[in-house]
Amino acid sequence: MKTEILHRHSNTAAKISLSEEETCTTESGAMIAMSGNMSISTSTYKKGGGGIFKAAKRLLAGESFFLNHFQPSGGSGELWVSPVLTGDLVEHNLSGEKLIVQSGSFLAAASTVNVDVGWQGFKNFLSGESLFWLNLSGDGPVILSAFGVIYTVEVDGEYIVDTGHIVAFDETLNFSISKAGKSWISSFFGGEGIICRFKGKGKIYCQSHNPSSFGHSLTPSLKPRRQ
Amino acid sequence: MSSMKHTITCSPDYSLLTVNIPAGNTVKVEASAMAAMDTNIKMKTRMKGGLGRLLTRESLFINEFTAEGGDGDIMIAPGSPGDLKHISLDGNVVYLQNSGYVASGLDVTLETKWQGMMKGFFSGESLFLIKCSGKGDLWFNSYGGIIEIDVKGEYIVDTGYIVAFEETLDYNVQSVGGLKSLFFSGEGLVCRFSGSGKLWIQTRNVMAFANWTFPYRPVKKSN
Repeated sequence: MKTEILHRHSNTAAKISLSEEETCTTESGAMIAMSGNMSISTSTYKKGGGGIFKAAKRLLAGESFFLNHFQPSGGSGELWVSPVLTGDLVEHNLSGEKLIVQSGSFLAAASTVNVDVGWQGFKNFLSGESLFWLNLSGDGPVILSAFGVIYTVEVDGEYIVDTGHIVAFDETLNFSISKAGKSWISSFFGGEGIICRFKGKGKIYCQSHNPSSFGHSLTPSLKPRRQ
Repeated sequence: MSSMKHTITCSPDYSLLTVNIPAGNTVKVEASAMAAMDTNIKMKTRMKGGLGRLLTRESLFINEFTAEGGDGDIMIAPGSPGDLKHISLDGNVVYLQNSGYVASGLDVTLETKWQGMMKGFFSGESLFLIKCSGKGDLWFNSYGGIIEIDVKGEYIVDTGYIVAFEETLDYNVQSVGGLKSLFFSGEGLVCRFSGSGKLWIQTRNVMAFANWTFPYRPVKKSN
């Protein structure tokens, strides 16, 4: 699997070239175009993860996670993927270690990478959207997406990142969720809400913008929906 | 016909087109896309494309800008941020997705084309395409970056990401994979292009973005 990242930094797309035996796994809806010899199959995040009805239930619960698998037949093929929001993409190569990815930031990976749902986070109490994490392990390239540009932080010791700005981080880092201020009231009104405190040694991918903050800034201009 | 002098700046994120119109010449521009221009450029509103343009949900009007008594610059900014592409038509035909038209030379003919019930209904965007034929410059835009693909054989594109394609390509709308993929892949329906010719796709989809905003909509109290 060879990846080319084009049109950076806001309208970034990735062109993935696959040889005949290779399979690429993407987040559902990520494919924008592909060569005619590509076949597609869909699964839930875990092989044998309870079948289609359980998956549908999760879809209704807003916790669905479907993956598409692309494989070329009769020669090599190419596949274009892009995320919904404007922003950058980054390629990360796994070789045995684990990477924890915020669910919205996972775009694609080689099939040699295992994708599992990890810690199911709290529901965001402002928007009601659920945040969960994916555990990626194995060998091979992974493509991550971000809202805005991506920057990396090499942590050695301690570091704090707002949860809305995390794209992914090495599993070697311990993390704990806490409030930004001294009390819940000050963190809530301070607008920082909930932060991640990382400890140890490893790499964090951060995004320059917080999708949920942007979403809330749109609220006054959007048409009301019925409850 | 030689192409007009033009520059595209801030591509691919916030592309802005500047066309240098030679004295006495005219450029057709999508209504409301003009951002700024020299004072010697005169504007005329024409109902080019006829009633058909109403059906494509584009605004009915195309404005004609003519440089009088000397050259003049016009700056054209499409409604959505994204990429801009220029091609020269020379007898060949290009189809644009209904919101893709930005500007063209006077000798480019624009028509709306019914895609047929099956193709149009399922292709998500619109039942109509804009058919561009004739000779001269054609500019089109996208929401997101534009990727040019030289199709030889077959190519598959998610229906929401098609910007433009040459007439030499044939296309069919179909579902991807099996039944499970149809409902859960998030890809829904795709266009399968065949033949040889150029195809332009965009890297973002404005519908997908609009759907993303759904949880942020204010909730109306039902009382």
